Amino acid sequence: MPRTDPIGESRLIQWVLIGISLTFLAFIVFLPLTLVFVEALRKGFGVYLAALKDAETWAALRLTLTVAAISVPLNALFGICAAWSVTKHNFAGKNLLLSLIDLPFSVSPVISGLIYVLLFGAQGWFGPWLRSHHVEIIFAVPGIVLATTFVTFPFVARELIPLMQAQGTEEEEASLSLGASGLHTFWHVTLPNIKWALLYGVLLCNARAMGEFGAVSVVSGHVRGLTNTLPLQIEILYNEYNFTAAFAVATLLASLALVTLVLKTILEWRYADQLAASHKH
Amino acid sequence: MSVAVHIRNIEKRFREQSVLHNISLTVEGGELLALLGPSGSGKTTLLRTIAGLEFQDGGDVFFGDINARQLTLRERRIGFVFQHYALFRHMTVEDNIAFGLRARPRSQRPSEHDIRSRVFELLQLVQLDGLEKRYPAQLSGGQRQRVALARALGIEPRVLLLDEPFGALDAKIRKDLRQWLRELHQRTGHTTVFVTHDQEEAFELADRVAILNGGRIEQVGTPTQIRQRPENTFVADFLGQTATEATPIAQILPMKRKPQ
Amino acid sequence: MRFTTLKTAGTVAALALTLAATVSFAKADTQLLNVSYDPTRELYKAINEAFAADWKTKTGEVVTINQSHGGSGKQARAVIDGLKADVVTLALAGDIDTIASKAKLLPQDWAKRLPNNSTPFSSTIVFLVKKGNPKGIKDWGDLATEGTQVITPNPKTSGGARWNFLGAWAWANKSFGGDEAKTKSYIAALYKNVPVLDTGARGSTTTFAQRGIGDVLISWESNAWLALDEFGADKFEIVYPSISINAETPVAVIDVNVKANNTEKQAKAYLDYLFTAPAQKIAAHLHYRPSDPAAADPADLAKLPKFDLVSIDKDFGGWSKAQQKFFAEGAIFDQLYKATN
Repeated sequence: MPRTDPIGESRLIQWVLIGISLTFLAFIVFLPLTLVFVEALRKGFGVYLAALKDAETWAALRLTLTVAAISVPLNALFGICAAWSVTKHNFAGKNLLLSLIDLPFSVSPVISGLIYVLLFGAQGWFGPWLRSHHVEIIFAVPGIVLATTFVTFPFVARELIPLMQAQGTEEEEASLSLGASGLHTFWHVTLPNIKWALLYGVLLCNARAMGEFGAVSVVSGHVRGLTNTLPLQIEILYNEYNFTAAFAVATLLASLALVTLVLKTILEWRYADQLAASHKH
Repeated sequence: MSVAVHIRNIEKRFREQSVLHNISLTVEGGELLALLGPSGSGKTTLLRTIAGLEFQDGGDVFFGDINARQLTLRERRIGFVFQHYALFRHMTVEDNIAFGLRARPRSQRPSEHDIRSRVFELLQLVQLDGLEKRYPAQLSGGQRQRVALARALGIEPRVLLLDEPFGALDAKIRKDLRQWLRELHQRTGHTTVFVTHDQEEAFELADRVAILNGGRIEQVGTPTQIRQRPENTFVADFLGQTATEATPIAQILPMKRKPQ
Repeated sequence: MRFTTLKTAGTVAALALTLAATVSFAKADTQLLNVSYDPTRELYKAINEAFAADWKTKTGEVVTINQSHGGSGKQARAVIDGLKADVVTLALAGDIDTIASKAKLLPQDWAKRLPNNSTPFSSTIVFLVKKGNPKGIKDWGDLATEGTQVITPNPKTSGGARWNFLGAWAWANKSFGGDEAKTKSYIAALYKNVPVLDTGARGSTTTFAQRGIGDVLISWESNAWLALDEFGADKFEIVYPSISINAETPVAVIDVNVKANNTEKQAKAYLDYLFTAPAQKIAAHLHYRPSDPAAADPADLAKLPKFDLVSIDKDFGGWSKAQQKFFAEGAIFDQLYKATN
């Protein structure tokens, strides 16, 4: 068979590989996604809109956005701190910190939720203290924020660490030696160098924060209109034989995910040069 | 000439390893001094210690009469040029050079107009006028080197410190830049310390050379003094070698083309 | 620098917590939380509206009742872990007993505080089959026939599933004249026909009705009727067996929580309201068996035929005994289910 490119695979193999990938994508990603929209609109657009206007669905949407609005900035901040300390400093326990950052990826979300029940639940370690001080964490918004933050913690840090490692500390040292303060150095040197990676990490973190089911399910208490997030609301609607509404709400989540994806693509396309430049040393 | 930098009994350890051992050295005002030695001799660590980027475990650094321990990094006013330049990759040449002035606290910051005219003076000084809107990635190695130098000069440093200033450049440009740096030094008169492993570079450029080995200073003197009277066998051996193991490939390759 | 970052982090965290706290405390006049089991969503939605209107006319106070639904056992666990329920309306007395004994949130004798063992309405266990009953399922015995697929949830997590199990047991016990070995082998054969144990009654119903898996769903009577309403009487039909169990679903005020929430008066009034004629009528309309049939619409009652129902207290000696004998770790359910799979 004639060799057509320097990598050396024949054209046939290329086409087979591309074909497999596309078929796989079509069945695993595209088909279910289409199905969500088809099911949601099956009874017509009016029914679809009515399903989205439901007060409990609105409350769930508000809660989901509130939780994301708290946990994503927190994780962006903690992610930067963690990546900063891991890549720009040497200290005892650095490897431990690195493993801890990955912990939420390796622990089942349900376990993550249970950890908080064990800590803050009425029978948990801090339960009696919290009750005597009238602080609600579990089965309330703070618990949902905590669980979501825990589950989505690695996204920003994971995105930043390799980049910051590759970039080294020379630019920061240059800035400090030029008389800039630490904060000035961070704002004008470190942050601009990592901003695309940071934005990318924040997008991923946000997508997961809004879609998280397992951990949130454990700490939510499922109080309608108060502690149900969008994914929990979808489950409830589905279990109430309210399939059209369930899929309608699912299209909300899917749309949020699609917006994320589009933003990410635009970012990559718009800033391809800077991304390449900032990855170069 | 006044004393610009005085180093007294510096000790520095990384983990258990001693990297600088009882180093004392004086740099006169306006002098161009080379720290010469093989890789691992401690010359870069010494330079970074003077700059305040590393902290010594023992001994003191004085700028004139002032002990550097009392000074913040900003108050040291060191112009440091990194081996790989460490230019801010997301800033234009102009913004790079203006960085030190703009980073000053408001009360000490010159007006934006003054900053700009200072930047253009510096661009002319390093012969880069017209390139102020470029990004570092759009410059050649030699041009980046000169931007780094202009940026360091921008803060009106008491001392200019250069870490292997020509290490990342190929042989032809090294020679040109060397010549140019010598002229620049004569014109501006900045007290300058630079690190190199290349003795030809050190002897051609520097007023005085300090030879380091294993974290100690083996000999300090003018190029002529050292060439004529090496104080010990290490210095003699080191001078005898033409190309050490640390010579970069960039320097060897063009030589190969010469007919033997 | 690091100090400044820390300070910023602290400020953001504090802001975030304040925001979270604001959201969680942004509540209407008086709020009650009713923590209930899985299939009562429609029931309490209707009753809550009626109660709120009634309470408004009587006292002028606006009261909102929030609902949380889930498997009965799981819900009891959540209350024990701190879910601030003002009242619980669970699938079986045993789960409320657990809240009383484990977390001491209400007295052990809670059931005596309201009429009819604190049970405003009950249900029973029936079969849902495909229209025309193609497998010809008439009674419990048909569920153990080879080749019949039976859908029922897991008794470990679902209250309804425990009632299902006891219904089957009651039939076999009667049919085999109290021969426990024969009863056990019947139960083993029945559970051998279960392809998947869902965690809750709703999950099982979706498995059967939506995904079309199985020949027969053992189900709450109310849930079976609701499935007919939802999916159409042309798709499914309900089969009443010869005997079943009176599934008493009791309610209780959680004393410690209402005291903390200052909602004692409203919570008690809410549960009292469940026993009144309007609530009884709503329950009967949604296919629950009212404790006061006189209050119900006769047309609704006609759908709930009278047949032989055993009682958890009289025939099984109460929930703590039944729990111990059948559903505890390594008890009869575990033995039989393990043997068949």
